[in-house]
Amino acid sequence: MRDLVSLALRPLTQPGGLARFWRGLGAVTMLIVASANPVLAQAPVQKRVLGELCAKGVSNQVKGITNLLASVDAGQVDPSWGVEIFQALGDRALICGGDTPLIVSEDTVRLATTLEPTKRSPEKKQGAFVNLRLRSQLDMGVAILRLLSEPGGPTSAADLEQLRKRAEIAPVALIERAVAMPGNEAVAEGLRDILAVAALEDPDPAQRISAIKRLAEAPSARNLTLLLNLRDGLSDAEDGAIKGELSSGINKIRFWLEVGEVSATIYSGLSYASILFMAALGLAVIFGLMGVINLAQGELIMIGAYVTFLVQEALKVVAPGLLEYYLLLAIPFAFVVTAGVGVTMEVTVIRHLYRRPLMTLLATWAISLFLINATRVVFGTQNLEFVVPGFLSGGVHLFADFIVTWNRLFAICFALVVLGGALFVLRYTKLGMFIRAVTENRDMAGCVGVSVRRVDMVAFGIGSGLAGLAGLALSPIYTVNPGMGASFIVDAFMIVVLGGVGSLIGTAAAALGIGMINVIIEPLYGAVAAKVIVLLMIIVFIQFRPEGLIAIKGRR
Amino acid sequence: MDRRSFLRNSAVAGAALAAPSLISSRSRAADILKLGCLFSSSGTMANIEGRLNSVVQMAAAELNAKGGVLGKQVEVMVTDPASDWPLYAQMGRQLLLQDQCSALFGCWTSVSRKSVLPVVEQNNGLLYYPLHFEGEENSKNVVYLNSPPASSVLPALEYLMSPDGGEAKRFFMLGSDYVWPRTINKICKGYWESKGFDESSWREHYVPFGFSNFQTLVNEIRQFASEPGGQPIIVLTVVGSSIPDFFKEIINQGIGATDIPVLGLDVLEADLEGLDTAPMVGHLNCWAYLQNAEAPANDAFKDNWKSFVEKGNLPYSPDTVIDPMVSAYDGVHLWAKAVEKAGMADPDAVRAASAGLSFDCPSGYSIKMTDENNYVSRGVFIGSVNDQQAFDILWQSEDTPKPVPFSPYA
Repeated sequence: MRDLVSLALRPLTQPGGLARFWRGLGAVTMLIVASANPVLAQAPVQKRVLGELCAKGVSNQVKGITNLLASVDAGQVDPSWGVEIFQALGDRALICGGDTPLIVSEDTVRLATTLEPTKRSPEKKQGAFVNLRLRSQLDMGVAILRLLSEPGGPTSAADLEQLRKRAEIAPVALIERAVAMPGNEAVAEGLRDILAVAALEDPDPAQRISAIKRLAEAPSARNLTLLLNLRDGLSDAEDGAIKGELSSGINKIRFWLEVGEVSATIYSGLSYASILFMAALGLAVIFGLMGVINLAQGELIMIGAYVTFLVQEALKVVAPGLLEYYLLLAIPFAFVVTAGVGVTMEVTVIRHLYRRPLMTLLATWAISLFLINATRVVFGTQNLEFVVPGFLSGGVHLFADFIVTWNRLFAICFALVVLGGALFVLRYTKLGMFIRAVTENRDMAGCVGVSVRRVDMVAFGIGSGLAGLAGLALSPIYTVNPGMGASFIVDAFMIVVLGGVGSLIGTAAAALGIGMINVIIEPLYGAVAAKVIVLLMIIVFIQFRPEGLIAIKGRR
Repeated sequence: MDRRSFLRNSAVAGAALAAPSLISSRSRAADILKLGCLFSSSGTMANIEGRLNSVVQMAAAELNAKGGVLGKQVEVMVTDPASDWPLYAQMGRQLLLQDQCSALFGCWTSVSRKSVLPVVEQNNGLLYYPLHFEGEENSKNVVYLNSPPASSVLPALEYLMSPDGGEAKRFFMLGSDYVWPRTINKICKGYWESKGFDESSWREHYVPFGFSNFQTLVNEIRQFASEPGGQPIIVLTVVGSSIPDFFKEIINQGIGATDIPVLGLDVLEADLEGLDTAPMVGHLNCWAYLQNAEAPANDAFKDNWKSFVEKGNLPYSPDTVIDPMVSAYDGVHLWAKAVEKAGMADPDAVRAASAGLSFDCPSGYSIKMTDENNYVSRGVFIGSVNDQQAFDILWQSEDTPKPVPFSPYA
């Protein structure tokens, strides 16, 4: 620490240091003045552009955006100024009217022309409404100007994605400049792809061919559409080389699109399977191993999600820095609290009904209604708001329109880890051995000294805790409200019965099977038919194999 | 005393004791008017539909504070049909026949209204229905408080197809599988055909109630959007908990309003609770009321709701009000006015007295019951999602257009 302080004070403590310090400060001030000066000198340009942006009518405003971009190109205004103006307009923070436009934020008011703070008070609280046509222009404008003002900045990947979507309206000259700027190397290839879109119309055949090649290198349905449009527009007199390149490019994109489509289907199937599996896992333990028909399983999932929410809210107060990782930090809480609820259920109600399954069914149903309504009274009916951590929002574009969304990847990985954990506990621990023993032959296990009651209680706790983890894993994907559990219960029973009562591997296999079949049928016959077909298939399957996919030997 | 005389005496005594209570309960029934509520507070519709029970109670409390209707107190009977459509009919019958309710307020989905329809028609009841819906129905036993498509959906589509709305040319229809989305989509298709579009410019998909796994469908939407033919939009008619799940998925797949705008016909302020709406800015909806409507009546309504929720410690957000709440509230007041005018709560008299009644709706419009049917002229709003979990008003009509129950496009 002392080293740091002395380092900071070195200019002052060294001989002649003070003088150097002042000189340095002077240089910085000069720099600031120098960079501010041209802005002041060119204020008329800013004023004119702002006038257009403030004008009535979207067409005029669009003209203002085009003109602002043109004056950036001409070097008359600074791109960072343009970014500020566009963002303010998009956020409805640019207040027109009065003698000069102002930009308002929560606590400051700035002059739009110079971005300097001012004491003026704005006439209105909010700027004019921004419609979709204007908004897409603004998005494009912000993206390109940001690439120019802070090359290689943290937003450059997102900016590139914006420009890619709006390749048709992006100004070519500015993109060319952005490509040439040092710092933008990471996005330069992507920007050249965008330039290629414009080059498709180039009079020079060589340019066109290289543009076609480039577009074919980045296969997407969008590029396919561009090439198809080009092919339809070609006249017979056109160069044969272009036609050849075009058709091979189209074929190439089509091939990759198909690969992308298959990958997307597999990924959707996996992600749906992981959700089904998480929802069913707790039930696989409770129903599969213990034979208890627990209709409150969905509500245990809901409780897990609410515990996750509470952990998030607690972190907001206690340690806002850790908020980003609340999902991971909530894992033990979601497990323990839900397991506690499960154990309480077991001890107070279910224990007394083990030999009467029909009564268990009714009792657990009553418990589920009780839990739903208790949650409604405490938290209200509205959907809970979860902070989406940075590492779970959005997704990554792998290739050819195949997007891997982080929240679903999280669910898949989480399901795998939980499956591994549950299998480990059941197979390699003493507790697991007891649970298996009780499953296979309850009376015999009791005879050889296993405390059947305790094992029941712990197994029920584990099953409930797993449901709690499911709630945690589902909270970034699904809406969380008191009634959310009801939608899982049917699917969960379906998976457990299909998988084979008492087998976790069977549960996983059944989830995978149903998930995959669902996503394959869905695009062909629609989601409603998919559900019907899957249910029919299960009915037929159970007819021929009532014990499910993987049958466990045991005496019940 | 022998056994027989004991029995006789006790029977007489019992009858004597019971008589005053019978008389008093009958006289009590004479000075109250009962309203029945058919809104689910459990099941897939629970989150939004449940609030309507409370808003009817709030309106009734307002009436009672002013001395009731015809000098009688208004009592609200609340039921929970649990998002189970046949149960609406059963509970509706119970409210009409057993509880002798003067009028019913109820139903969110059209399928639940269709289920109650025969009940109110057989028993000559009155159902006040607060949702905008597909039209194509004109029962003398239902008061349609909200707008049919001609004064809600079609203006919004027209906007999206105009230059300012992005000149939409291709349409992806995604709905829950029941009568409202299917009829709305049929009307939309008819409308587009009349504008010169053909079948290649739209695609139609339906999902079951409570559906939440939208990944595959959003993949298909992205594919549809990148095909040639012009700007695509999504006409979203999924209901209940599917709405936020759908938006979560399109946000994660990187679709914003400037790429493919979503016209969410059942999307309300309450559906945005719990969502980060910053990546959703610009998506649209259309209703006869938006929370941000600028009118003194609206501020009063919002304050009332807030204090009603806080006083009753209700499980709803005190700061969120939605169109069907306002419509139900309007309905209670329109009913009260009609009863006052008719001098009695008999459905036939109320219906006759209703023609031409008007009420200052919190939306800022003076809404009016039409003379020839049980529809209400309402204002039209097109809203655009902002980053504060609400809708900015993008456009609103000059006045209240006359409702057209039957669409020429259906």
